[in-house]
Amino acid sequence: MTVRGLWIISHENGGNLSIRFSRRFSTVEHRAKSLAGSSYVAVPEESTFLQLLLTELGLSDSGKNYVALRDDCLYRPRSPALELHVDGPAKGILWPVLTVSQGPLILACLPLVDVPPDPRPPLASLLSVSQGLTLLAGLQTFLLGSGSKPDSEGLGSRLAMVPSVLLQVCPLGTPLDVPLPGTPATPTAPTSVGTQKQPAWKTGLHRGRAVVNVGLIETVRSMQYGNRSRQDLWDVYGTVTCKCEVEGVLPNVTVTLSLPPNGSPLQDILVHPCVTSLDSSILTASSVDNYDGSAFSGPYKFPFSPPLEPFRLCSYTSEVPVPPILGSYQLKEEENQLRVSVTLKLHESIKNSFEFCNAHLPFFNRDQMGVVDMKVSSGQLDVSKEKNLLVWVLGQKFPKSREVTMEGKINFSGPTPGPSDPLCTKLTAYVKLHFKVPDMTLSGCYVDQHSVQVYSSAKPRIVTSRELQSKEYYIWNSTGTAPVSSGQMMM
Amino acid sequence: MAANWAERISAFSRRPSGFLSGTTAEAFLAELLRELRDDRATYSVKILLLSPLCEHPTLVCCSDSVGEETALELMSVFAQCPPKSVQFRCHLLLALTSVLICTSCVKSHSRASLDFLDVLLQIAQDTSDIHTDGSQRPLRAIACECLRELEACCPSLLSQRLELLGGLWQQETSRLHQAYAELYTLVLRNAIYQLTQETGAGAEHLKALLGGNTSAAWEADQESGLASSKDSAILSSLILGPMGTVPTLHTGPDCKELRSVLSTLLDESYLLTPLCQATLLHRLTEVVAMVPGVPPAIFRTHLLRLLGTSEVSLLHVTLLLKCAFTDSLFSSEDEAFILKRLVVLSQHLLLSTPEKLFYMDCILHFPENRPISCGDGDETLPVLLTPQLASALVPTVFNDSATLLARFNMLSLVYLEEGEEGQGGQGLAYLYEHLNSLLSMVENGCGRELVVTFFRAAFLFLYYFCHVERYSNDLTKQLCQLYLNHTKLAPHFINLADQTQDRLSESSWSVGLLKALQRVITEAPLTQLTSHDLSRHLKMLARVAEEGEIIQQSTLTFLSSIITPSSSSLCTGGDWCLGNEILRVCRHLLVHPSLDSLLTPLADVLQLLVCHYADMEIQDHARLYYTLLTTLSREKLAGVLAQGMEEGGRQDKKQSLSCLIGEGLTSTLTIQQTERAVFRLIEAPPEPRAGDINSNEVQKGPEEASASMEAYRDQFSDSSFASEITLQYQLVHINSHDSHFDQLFSIRLHFSLTDHHYEELGDISVPCLLRERPSAIVQLTLKPRKPYPTSLHASAIFTSPDGHTWHTTLPDIHVAFQQTFLPLPVPSNWGPGGTLSVFEGLWDEICSESGDSAMSLFCCQLKEAALNTLVEKHFLPFLISDASHKEEFKVLFFLPPRSHILLKVSSEEDAVHFNIATDNWELLSHINSYLLKITSLQEDTLS
Repeated sequence: MTVRGLWIISHENGGNLSIRFSRRFSTVEHRAKSLAGSSYVAVPEESTFLQLLLTELGLSDSGKNYVALRDDCLYRPRSPALELHVDGPAKGILWPVLTVSQGPLILACLPLVDVPPDPRPPLASLLSVSQGLTLLAGLQTFLLGSGSKPDSEGLGSRLAMVPSVLLQVCPLGTPLDVPLPGTPATPTAPTSVGTQKQPAWKTGLHRGRAVVNVGLIETVRSMQYGNRSRQDLWDVYGTVTCKCEVEGVLPNVTVTLSLPPNGSPLQDILVHPCVTSLDSSILTASSVDNYDGSAFSGPYKFPFSPPLEPFRLCSYTSEVPVPPILGSYQLKEEENQLRVSVTLKLHESIKNSFEFCNAHLPFFNRDQMGVVDMKVSSGQLDVSKEKNLLVWVLGQKFPKSREVTMEGKINFSGPTPGPSDPLCTKLTAYVKLHFKVPDMTLSGCYVDQHSVQVYSSAKPRIVTSRELQSKEYYIWNSTGTAPVSSGQMMM
Repeated sequence: MAANWAERISAFSRRPSGFLSGTTAEAFLAELLRELRDDRATYSVKILLLSPLCEHPTLVCCSDSVGEETALELMSVFAQCPPKSVQFRCHLLLALTSVLICTSCVKSHSRASLDFLDVLLQIAQDTSDIHTDGSQRPLRAIACECLRELEACCPSLLSQRLELLGGLWQQETSRLHQAYAELYTLVLRNAIYQLTQETGAGAEHLKALLGGNTSAAWEADQESGLASSKDSAILSSLILGPMGTVPTLHTGPDCKELRSVLSTLLDESYLLTPLCQATLLHRLTEVVAMVPGVPPAIFRTHLLRLLGTSEVSLLHVTLLLKCAFTDSLFSSEDEAFILKRLVVLSQHLLLSTPEKLFYMDCILHFPENRPISCGDGDETLPVLLTPQLASALVPTVFNDSATLLARFNMLSLVYLEEGEEGQGGQGLAYLYEHLNSLLSMVENGCGRELVVTFFRAAFLFLYYFCHVERYSNDLTKQLCQLYLNHTKLAPHFINLADQTQDRLSESSWSVGLLKALQRVITEAPLTQLTSHDLSRHLKMLARVAEEGEIIQQSTLTFLSSIITPSSSSLCTGGDWCLGNEILRVCRHLLVHPSLDSLLTPLADVLQLLVCHYADMEIQDHARLYYTLLTTLSREKLAGVLAQGMEEGGRQDKKQSLSCLIGEGLTSTLTIQQTERAVFRLIEAPPEPRAGDINSNEVQKGPEEASASMEAYRDQFSDSSFASEITLQYQLVHINSHDSHFDQLFSIRLHFSLTDHHYEELGDISVPCLLRERPSAIVQLTLKPRKPYPTSLHASAIFTSPDGHTWHTTLPDIHVAFQQTFLPLPVPSNWGPGGTLSVFEGLWDEICSESGDSAMSLFCCQLKEAALNTLVEKHFLPFLISDASHKEEFKVLFFLPPRSHILLKVSSEEDAVHFNIATDNWELLSHINSYLLKITSLQEDTLS
């Protein structure tokens, strides 16, 4: 339940990877020594540790084609924990080193093995592993921000705050909490002298008007092949994000998700730890199960006591009968040019009012585009010749027929080769859709403003919203071979 | 100064060993402590100064007593630090905890550690700031954390304070209650563990423990408990799965107190951060596992909340609960539900890759209620994981490498279990198709990471499904095609062949692959062959030639066709690297079991290399192989090359090119350097120069003094006359016990001069030096240009019993002034009269001449007896006058090549006078210091 050491590695001003911060927990090391006995392996010094870690991550010697230690084909069933092979007088295998990496940052920690070390215990028997992962993920969010684009600008200044952050969340190697994003919380004013204990995860108390904000976002993914032998795939998952400004040490709030009649049940529900209790029926539906018509289909009640900061109350997946946009994509190779034909059809149940809707058509492993002779029935076409990319901007609305087409020819006669991709060779190509539809969900799931209950003195303002967005929405060329993306289809 | 400290501290933590090699731990510690006491230093610097003590206490405090002293120092710093510097005080507590725990002060209950414990408990109880600003709260939190760490490292340290801690936990309403709860739970867990180790402990003891009214009897037990707690078992997690045993405390069903404590802890666990909640639940699981009187059902009300959580550590602790209590807490429906949940989480979009990989690992080590195998750490599939369920986890090209391989591994296990029929067959077909799509990505020239992933996936596939020939044979075919198009992947292929051979010893797939590769290489048209391709082909063929089962004719045909001058320009190009790669193939062929049938073509290839290859070294090497091949019998050939093959066989692929050259011979041909001197030369004890002149058969020398002088001078017409001095040395081992060098052979000593006063020395050979035998005598012949004292550098080359040749340096040899003295070189048949007349002649000459000659007087206080002893000891061989003639001793030192020093030694009233005459005034300072030395020695011994 503790970690022996913690390392933060990043690129130094665009140069080599280096250790920007490290912390060893000597008392934990002391325990590690007596727990492991003769099989104890000491933590090597920084430079050695870095080199061994980069080798294991496949990041060392990037100029060399093959390095035996790095590229050995022997599969070691060890992820997400790495083994570092320490050489020299303190020879041995340092295990389990956990790493997370994102953008310019690699974080690593070494959890304490608190069960007999021989034979090697499974990761699942070490609580310190999941705690280490949580600590690393928390630090990563703290250092890079939680947004989709990591903010590496402020990285330096936030790295400087790591020591004081660790004093709060992990002073002696036992992770107590994850750092709050942003500046470390200053000790808040004395809060309550009542008998109610303040949750440890609540940094202070809200004073003022009560506001509860509940946002529901559904994301749809799809793989469409336009091929009879291959079933098209799509899935939907939703997340409910809350920001609650409510007075009290431990206020009670209940948010209820509802489905329309005949809506398919929400599956794989995961809840935030501030949810106080759950009904067993909420958890029963699972995407890996055969659909059971009798399954519970709401309403889904989530009673909780909110933390101060915004948080993800719950997430779910849903099985919807049709994809929102059905597409077909056909390419035909003709003497030095490519004949392109795309059709997109908006399903009738979908609100025809987009925030945006774009289709991207990249072409890989070809020379740069020369002449592009394309016609679209709606929207407009942007051609980016240096990226070999067509962007079809469909705007806010499909036409009344709810169907749009694009036809034409492209000549790849440019002077230099365009971008390459190992997957998309020959006629393996795709259209990728990016769209967002405000105020709707595919599953039909919604949060009724009146169903949000807050048990506090003042009447709160309640705001709810919902939207549908796309992610990894691919339509593959039906005349080429398309990669398999899921095993669901084969059974 | 502050910036300097920041730099130094960061240098220390980057490389403590390097930093401390530039100073000593004591000095560094003293500096740290001084600076910590310095009022001028800012607190931010002081916090920095504490980090070496926190992170490397045992390096900075090199003994327990230093640790104790340091802790006392730090505590006085703490006592003097104003309460408002909370951050610094927090760090001081952390540093104290680290120092005291790591230097074993806590374990030995040292004074400082007991004092520190009191300080911590005081801080933990001090809630005086609660109504003011709460500014001391971080300090209280850290104090609790320090107490928890002390208890974690020295279990049962706080058992006696359980009631106090419980009270603090219950009273606290600020966020700090978490720190108290964690501390309390750990102390409770350790105390109960300690009780389980006492014989006869039961319900009352438990009650007493919780109530805090510890009886005297129990305290005695406590002491014995502390002794046994040195065992690290108490530090270990008690949740070990089906094979682990948990020590138990038999209380009967009556443990209301404990139950109520546990319920409160569980109910309040919701108020803790998820990480602390997980720790708390883990500790409580251990407690309930140790006390069978408390039913596991106590956890039941919390299960749904935990099973629905998105927090990895909370779900993990739930799995550990299941591991500990199996069907006494989880029904089979629960089990099916949890497994499904894990599958869902293993591919959940909102989770990070490491979390998903962790959940996959949890599936492979799923704590089943009724496990079939005894979970010995190996991966096993839970019974409930059907192909249907697992199909959610099939690998796809959209996965990252780690996920792809983890899924590939898991699905392989699933389909292996299902067999080749039905769903297993379908699944296997899918896996193979997936492998093929990876292969086609490699074929299309993807990045390095994907290449490595493909080979790992291929290895996994073979590992599980090598026996399914329709796939493994097809894979061989596909791989050969891939190799021809991408020869740069050769090292990956060789690695795959090696690993499949090692791990799948029953399968011949690896040999099959190599055979197929040999075929495609040797059958491909030579016309388009680049030198890069050729080099990789040769590496591959060298690996193929290691396989005794593979027929090598086609390899030889290939070799011969690439080096035949008419068909290829390789020979005329004379590329050294390629030449060596060809030789490497040949070398493997030389030890191939089918060598008899390869003899002629192999000899032809070597002959071609000898005659036509444009690089001399390759020619020489080929000639050696050719000679070995044509003159040695097979057994001998194998013997000669065997050692090299063992060392260089399968491993040498990993070595650099230069190691391949000379292969086995290199180590024996290389001279290695010893780490330190192995032996040295010491002066041999002087052999008795028996009687010298007197014992010889005496004839009269020339009568006339002038004639004597003339005869004496004539001898020097031969320039080599009396020009050398010979010194006797013993060659002895230096007393270090390196048994490797006990027996040394063929020692060749080499000397080099440090000045220009002597002629260069020749090397000296010593046949052997054995530690158990008497040391060897070495005669060193020096030929002075000027007879001054000197030093010689010495080194040696020798052979150790294992046949390795070594170079070593000996300690310097110092040649003293008196070692250059020789007796007057006169013909041996001259009597004392002759020598005396030469003495007188020389003396007179020196007195009358100026030039290089000089006279001097040296006086000292010596008793007569002392003088006699001195003459006897140091001058006897050089004495010209009769030894019985004690009024005046005449002494003559001859110093090659031409110098003389003459002494007339007589006792005068006040002192002994050494009248000195020399024909080389430059020697005066040396003789002066020599006389000073011997006379003072004489004074010492006699006074």
